[in-house]
Amino acid sequence: MSKYFQLAKITFEEYLAYRLNFILWRFRSLITFLTPFFFWLAIYGGQEELLGYQKTQMITYVVGVVFLRSIILASRSTDLAGQIRSGELTKIIIAPWEVFSYYFTRDVVDKVLNVFFAVLEMATVLLVFEFPLYFPKNLETYLYFFLIIVLAIFLYFFLSLIISLTGFWTEDVWATRWLFGIIFLEFFAGAFFPLDILPFWLQKIIYLTPFPYLVFYPLKIWLGQISGLMAIKAILICFGWLGFFYWLTRFLWQKGIKNYGAYGG
Amino acid sequence: MVLMEDRKKFSIFNFQFPKLLKVWLLISSRAAQDQLLTGWSGILFLVGKFIRFLLFFVFLFAVLSESESLADFNREEIILFFLIFNLVDIMVQFLFRGVYQFRQLVVSGSYDLDLLKPLPSFFRPVFGWTDILDGITLIPLWVYFFWFILTNDLLIRGENLVLFLLLFLNSLFLAFAFHLFACSVCVLTTEIDHLIWVYRDLVNMARFPTDIYSKGVRLVLTFIIPAVVLITVPAKALLGILSWQGMALSLVITSVFLWGSLKFWRYALRRYASASS
Repeated sequence: MSKYFQLAKITFEEYLAYRLNFILWRFRSLITFLTPFFFWLAIYGGQEELLGYQKTQMITYVVGVVFLRSIILASRSTDLAGQIRSGELTKIIIAPWEVFSYYFTRDVVDKVLNVFFAVLEMATVLLVFEFPLYFPKNLETYLYFFLIIVLAIFLYFFLSLIISLTGFWTEDVWATRWLFGIIFLEFFAGAFFPLDILPFWLQKIIYLTPFPYLVFYPLKIWLGQISGLMAIKAILICFGWLGFFYWLTRFLWQKGIKNYGAYGG
Repeated sequence: MVLMEDRKKFSIFNFQFPKLLKVWLLISSRAAQDQLLTGWSGILFLVGKFIRFLLFFVFLFAVLSESESLADFNREEIILFFLIFNLVDIMVQFLFRGVYQFRQLVVSGSYDLDLLKPLPSFFRPVFGWTDILDGITLIPLWVYFFWFILTNDLLIRGENLVLFLLLFLNSLFLAFAFHLFACSVCVLTTEIDHLIWVYRDLVNMARFPTDIYSKGVRLVLTFIIPAVVLITVPAKALLGILSWQGMALSLVITSVFLWGSLKFWRYALRRYASASS
């Protein structure tokens, strides 16, 4: 256990080594929060309700996206692809690490830093603009929200690892990640806008993918826009996806590692 | 010494232009060969670009379904703003992709070799890579853009189109200035990625007419990261609603940014550490 603690400590120190990089990273994070915030404020104008969302709910959705990006979508498992291609993975597999635990430990540090600063930045902005957020009234909602977030953290971790594992077979890792890990993920997860403002036929297609369980469903639960039964259904489906991607990650890892050339290693 | 040479070579705007164009074409040809070498990767990128464009378009329609107009612009005009945003943004990515690779040149010290070449010192940092996939995306986008403005009667007078094209060019100069500024910061600090993404995130706010935002936000988008000049001004020129003051201000802003960026670039270059030496 202590070796993973040491790894977490080193990862933390890595972040603080390049201070300007760190400051600009946070500044960018703030900008990615402010742009949709101002956009939706402008779109609502004087109106209180639009596209099935109260103004407060939409702002809560925007804030929620920033929070979930920090805790779910922030990840270091993206490094794996490059390490496979460069042969740097050799250093990790010959060391006494369990590979998935290695990446998950680094993920946790990334998430802790992200959440800490994101909450601080959002709180400052919301205090300056004196904007109220929507908070659920039922205790079960908090429980459902917590459960789906925990599942989503692991779901994204395995999803991201699978994209990285394609590095065992192809050099086009960046193209794969860009399409599946950025474009599909950001749009289909609901990280740009709530999915239920899209046409119904498109929503039906998107709901067949695992992406909405990462951002959209957790926020629908928080906003109280789906019933308790639907929330449980969403949690169970998310659990199903998690089981599938966990199996797929193990399977691809076992196949891929036999294919690993350890270039430069 | 490098800077003195640079002053002589810094003639992109006069007689050296044909030579620079030839070098740029060579660089673009190499970049195209590299990108098309792995066809699968190219297809994935093109599919992603198309899906992103399509989904934002669907989103735009979803937002407009609730209100027929936004900040006094009707549905067709708002789509026009969105199209012009895409034209400017993709054109900038197409031309100035080199910026995304500049950090590696600085960190490795390979940029030393570029400084020895008879080219302006900023040429490789900014124009060192051309994204041919963005170039491919631009062709159908320009065709659709012209089809859209003609079928929706958005082009009232021919002069508006000429003015639009001139201000579109002005946008490219402004974007160049910002990219050069980012390269200067990179020379001084080896940091560039986050800065470029801050620029892109803020420019993304101009997908919609910037008139919808509050005064404070508009000021930031005019004078700090001038997304207004990049996108809103050419769009308004095409619609024939741009005042001469607005046009003059946009030209002044571009000139100031360009002058400031070149000055800052020279300052940064004097402090280039040449990491490999």
